[in-house]
Amino acid sequence: MKEIDYQICTNCVMDTTDSKISFDDKGICDHCNTYYKDILPNWHTDERGDRALKQIVKKLKKEGEGKDFDCLMGMSGGIDSSYLLYVMVEKYGLRPLVFHVDAGWNSQIAVNNIERLVDGLGLDLYTEVINWEEIKDLQLAFFKSGVPHIDVPQDHAFFATMYKFASKHNIKHILTGGNYSTECVRNPLEWMYYQSDSIQLRDIYKKYGTGKLKDYPVSNILWHKIYLPYIKGIKLIKPLDYIPYDKDKAMQLLVDKYGYQKYPQKHFESRFTRFYESYWLPKKFGFDTRKVQYSSLILTNQMTRNEALEKLKSPAYDPETIHQDFQYIATKLGISVEELQSYMDAPNKTYKDYKSQDNIYNIGAKVMRLIGLEKGGKR
Amino acid sequence: MIGIIDYGSGNVQAIATIYKNLNINYQVITKPEDLVKADKLILPGVGAFDATMQQLIDSGLKDKLNELVLGKKVPVLGICVGLQVMGYKSEEGNLPGLGWIAGKVSRFDENKIKFKPKLPHMGWNTINDVQNHKLFEGIDRDFGFYFVHSFYFECEKEHNILTTSNYGGEFTSSIYANHIFGTQFHPEKSHGNGVQLFKNFAELELC
Amino acid sequence: MLRSRIIPCLLVHNKGLVKTVKFKEPKYVGDPINAVKIFNEKEVDELIVLDIDATRENRGPNLEMIKNLADECRMPFCYGGGITTVEQARKIINLGAEKVALSYSALNNINLCQEIGAIIGNQSVVVVLDVKKKKLFGGYDIYTHNGTKKSKWKPDDLVAKLEEIGIGEIVINSIDNDGTMQGYDTALVENIRKNCSMPITVLGGAGTLDDIKNLISKFKIIGAAAGSLFVFKGKYRAVLINYPNRQERKPLY
Repeated sequence: MKEIDYQICTNCVMDTTDSKISFDDKGICDHCNTYYKDILPNWHTDERGDRALKQIVKKLKKEGEGKDFDCLMGMSGGIDSSYLLYVMVEKYGLRPLVFHVDAGWNSQIAVNNIERLVDGLGLDLYTEVINWEEIKDLQLAFFKSGVPHIDVPQDHAFFATMYKFASKHNIKHILTGGNYSTECVRNPLEWMYYQSDSIQLRDIYKKYGTGKLKDYPVSNILWHKIYLPYIKGIKLIKPLDYIPYDKDKAMQLLVDKYGYQKYPQKHFESRFTRFYESYWLPKKFGFDTRKVQYSSLILTNQMTRNEALEKLKSPAYDPETIHQDFQYIATKLGISVEELQSYMDAPNKTYKDYKSQDNIYNIGAKVMRLIGLEKGGKR
Repeated sequence: MIGIIDYGSGNVQAIATIYKNLNINYQVITKPEDLVKADKLILPGVGAFDATMQQLIDSGLKDKLNELVLGKKVPVLGICVGLQVMGYKSEEGNLPGLGWIAGKVSRFDENKIKFKPKLPHMGWNTINDVQNHKLFEGIDRDFGFYFVHSFYFECEKEHNILTTSNYGGEFTSSIYANHIFGTQFHPEKSHGNGVQLFKNFAELELC
Repeated sequence: MLRSRIIPCLLVHNKGLVKTVKFKEPKYVGDPINAVKIFNEKEVDELIVLDIDATRENRGPNLEMIKNLADECRMPFCYGGGITTVEQARKIINLGAEKVALSYSALNNINLCQEIGAIIGNQSVVVVLDVKKKKLFGGYDIYTHNGTKKSKWKPDDLVAKLEEIGIGEIVINSIDNDGTMQGYDTALVENIRKNCSMPITVLGGAGTLDDIKNLISKFKIIGAAAGSLFVFKGKYRAVLINYPNRQERKPLY
């Protein structure tokens, strides 16, 4: 493998641990340049955004007339989906059905926050509980495969379940908390490959799983990127991109108004994701997702580069308690701490080592960008 | 190193898990010769007085324990019946206690307890400070601790009473005499308060 | 002042948690370990976990699962399901549980309560009575094997016998009210409490925190257990673990 000299962006904190990163002559990385060139000019959170969002809301309300709810909102308990829920109900008057997928890793904070918001906003909640024995086996298979994207079982289940539900109940609009404000820099594909790639999921399960996936919801890229949106007309909307979204202010508002509990870091609503992002990815692969998150916040002026660099000096995980988390993950998966460690120590693989639909994603992404339907995105 | 004495009585596992999660060095001790390795000791206990005393004697740990606690002044924390056996005797049984603390164990007077089921005193109850001690630093007195017992410790000397609780009247819920501590309640089953107490005990600086 | 205990009760079926209605139609609720961990973080007073298949499948308790659950509990943990020997009870206590719950095995051989109590202490022995209203003439029958077999024991006789033996606690579980969330069967509790001086915990029917408040108000010191209330939310019975925090508990006593 070619040795790359270490280099860090002079504007954000992305660096050569993203092996596909490139820098311009000012030392600014391609993530930043994509943001400035493709995303920022087309991203409006002022009256333009508000107007566009009001149009969308009007349509949702019309379609929801006479029904119990006018849209589906995915809710993890995290700050993005929580703030989204608050805004769409309180400011725009929508009546969403709050949809939560329980993949067996909910933290107490997440569950508390979902409860506070659902109660505080007077909404209905629907939960889909994934068959734990199956997702456990799938999760273990991903550990055994050696790939970085071991959060796929949760993520895939989340989206597949939500889409299936929407499709079954003829709900045309799904609102998610995805947003440019905190996610304009995306995790490199090398770090987190597409969660929706069911070919990869099935191949990894075939090679390392021990049973059958009967209840576990497997989606596939063509179904949810083409059939659902273009044939069934089910659209995914990201309302947080139309309004000003300052993460800290949003968090404080929810704390004050609804008794929301703060998370120590993004994605800590799932115990697994916390372990994965703060420990497994950095330790095994050297991929620190905080760089992606902080870079997004730097670009949207919610954090300074110095603050980010300072935070990155210490590990993302708490050295005092990590052994407890490690033990918990092993216990949940039904394996010993030694076995889990053996997966940590095993050779690193990539998504290319298994079957995948990545060529479809490549073509699809190019088409989307060409016809202007997607700005920036994963690479 | 905290030595958690396992003589067949009490929830040793829960105490061990707490210290493990606190990253404080501990060892579960079953043999007398291992007692000396500990800087501090924990004596759990559940069940009847006589049965517990007998288990302590049968375990072969009693004599070494006496030597270390009374002689070498090794700090010790007794829990529930582990506290009760530190007295001279108990109304519940016939065997003598360890006699580490001047006091005896008495049964609650059912006539003084208003509601059924009068005994055991079981559930969460608050604690009141009689004396201020670092053992209870950072503990929410109102949230309290988990109790399950029908007998309680009566100190002969008032200055041994650390906290009281109320059940048909005030009774002693924790005691101390220099380096010897005891709680009638179960810190290993009392959530954050219990974890804090175990942490405080480990960090106590006693000469 | 002593507070009444408010106790989530979880049912294990095929390794997963389920919730039933009148002991039927188990609905999958998820992984036991994570649920127990969340309840622990919510600082519940106590926790009961019952394996509802063990007796019917004629097998013993799943010790590995019990250990994993006990490890997560910084509060008293009671396990029941398939315990038929003193040795099993002893092992379960050593794994970190506080109490063992017996149902069929106690009704089948009442001396087992004494035998187990002699080893782990009477305070740690809990007997669960699954009761259903008789079809005619009032009164209740006790059932075992997950509500499928009627026991010869009459509730009053059994309670009297258990009082005589001396055990830690009895749990009165109403099959009729199970999962209905329409309130506890307080008449049943009154009936049993009349002649019983042992600690009693009531299970079956709690639908709101007010049900718990009313139970405590009526009986002063009692265990208020609930399954559905702490596991479901709203009209779609969405699975969401919940439990009142320290502040929210205060008005209930």
